[in-house]
Amino acid sequence: MIVTSGLEKAYKDVKALKGLSFQANDGEITGLLGPNGAGKTTCLRSIYGLIHPDTGSAQVDSIDASKAPIDVRKRIGIFPDKFGLQERLSAREHIAYFAGLHGLHGDARKAAVQQVIDDLDMNDIADRRTGGFSQGQRMKVALGQAIVHQPQNLILDEPSRGLDVMSTRILRELLFRLKAQGRCILFSSHVMQEVAALCDRVVIMVAGQVVAEGSPAELCERTGQESFEEAFVQLIGTEEGIML
Amino acid sequence: MKSVFMTVWLKEMTDALRDKRSLMAAMSYAFFGPIMMAVAFMMVIKDAVSERDVYVHIDGAQYAPALVDFLGDRRIFAGDEENTAREIYLEIPENYEENMESAKPIYITVRSDYSERSDGSYRSRLESALREYNNTIASHRLTLRGISADVISPIRIDKQDTATKEARAAMILGTVMVFVLMAIFFSGMNVAIDGSAGERERNSLEFLLAQPVGTHWLVMAKAAAAGTFALFGAVLSILLIPLVFLFVPLEKLGIDFSMSWIDQAGMILVLIPLAAFASILQLFVSFRAKSFKEAQTYISLVMFIPVAVIFAVEFTRFEHPALEILPVTSQHRVLLATIGGQDVNWLMVLGGAGITLAVTAALVAVVTKMLRSEKVVFGL
Repeated sequence: MIVTSGLEKAYKDVKALKGLSFQANDGEITGLLGPNGAGKTTCLRSIYGLIHPDTGSAQVDSIDASKAPIDVRKRIGIFPDKFGLQERLSAREHIAYFAGLHGLHGDARKAAVQQVIDDLDMNDIADRRTGGFSQGQRMKVALGQAIVHQPQNLILDEPSRGLDVMSTRILRELLFRLKAQGRCILFSSHVMQEVAALCDRVVIMVAGQVVAEGSPAELCERTGQESFEEAFVQLIGTEEGIML
Repeated sequence: MKSVFMTVWLKEMTDALRDKRSLMAAMSYAFFGPIMMAVAFMMVIKDAVSERDVYVHIDGAQYAPALVDFLGDRRIFAGDEENTAREIYLEIPENYEENMESAKPIYITVRSDYSERSDGSYRSRLESALREYNNTIASHRLTLRGISADVISPIRIDKQDTATKEARAAMILGTVMVFVLMAIFFSGMNVAIDGSAGERERNSLEFLLAQPVGTHWLVMAKAAAAGTFALFGAVLSILLIPLVFLFVPLEKLGIDFSMSWIDQAGMILVLIPLAAFASILQLFVSFRAKSFKEAQTYISLVMFIPVAVIFAVEFTRFEHPALEILPVTSQHRVLLATIGGQDVNWLMVLGGAGITLAVTAALVAVVTKMLRSEKVVFGL
């Protein structure tokens, strides 16, 4: 479970987060939806403990990210916004490296890596170097390294950008499977259709604040719009100067 | 936590060994130094040992055949079509014979561009041959007049060279050691850049820092990987030096060169802390850079400092007690003493290693702090 309460963060003259509070529950896919520059990445970085908020806190399974970042990071898998791969390692070595950083060793590590490779259906590319991978293959490696330690919480930052239909499907199936296992999935995006299709709950944030929270259907109902896209536009449109 | 260190170190090593650029860099510096020095020595020895014939312009040779013969004995000849004369002119005056007979001074001119350094050694050979001839004539004249030639040379200099063969070798081989030290600073450079600025350029730094690993372990493991390469380069050149110098006839310069296995092992041990220091210094610089290229620019500027220090100490032989224990200079001294066959002050060696490691540890702390700072990591 991931909970943020009253997160505030300012960079020089820009206030990126203005008292952001939301919750992502276990067994649910929570979408963090907002236009570019809404503060999504800053929010996620606070959860990883890479950024210290000025006030407020981010907690993962009731552990404060700025107080015990290492304990928090053990409980999360991260699919980052920009994922760079080590191009001279094979997909298997790559995933094994991050398994090692999570404290897995020896046979346990081998088994965990093989499990992920099977789950993501990537046996055909497992022993090739990642240097020449396509975007979809790269995504699989990045997903593999995010879930190899079987984290209770999975955080994905704009995961479906640049993916083809097949890759998107693999991603979606994986997320549904993890959700069925009772894991907490937090998913940031600026693409409404994707969020509407995947998420149980949506948190819409604009300019560092939550403006609406609920299931896609609830949000449509609340705004009186038929499509989720219209609802989204209406919800964020009240803010001045926000462009999609 | 040790296992995390090993995981990162192993990964960085695998990565670097597969990177041809890193491998080439490490190997080329190691090979380049000793081989270049060997070639340079071969040239020097050839020059010094075999006195080559010198051809100069001699005007008025017909006036002083005896002098010309004397010069010929000293391998100084008049130039002809086959052997073009150097731009050195020896002018013998018309009245040579006349003045010689009447024991009047003879003015012989040596005309040349004295700013031309390449002719310098030939000029001085010509001049000393003339001086020698001058002394010979003088002593003949005195002998004819019944005076011992000893009268005009009251002082005789007896040169006794106390330099041991090893010490003489150290003078020359010190330059080779400069290359060993440079190998330390250049062999690991690519690995250091790849693990820091390269990580940032690949967009993998943020993800790495978001792993449940103490940042100090990451920094130490990355420094260790770069340090391993740095040491590898230095070890390679230390092993190569005796091999390469088998082919250089150093004995012709009166230099006895030997490097035992124990000497080599000692040198390698001494260089371990320096390799750690060089690598963390490189990480410190290149973690600040946004890209591989930027890091290369910064590092080559910063690496200029230790190289300048090495050269300064080597060529000026500047002495100060602090040099015994400072990073770079202390190691330089041990290397010099070892090949010079001098006693090594092991207490100072330990002091130097201790201080080098202390500076390294301080830099590890600084880099760790840097990587925990939002400003440095995200460039905010």
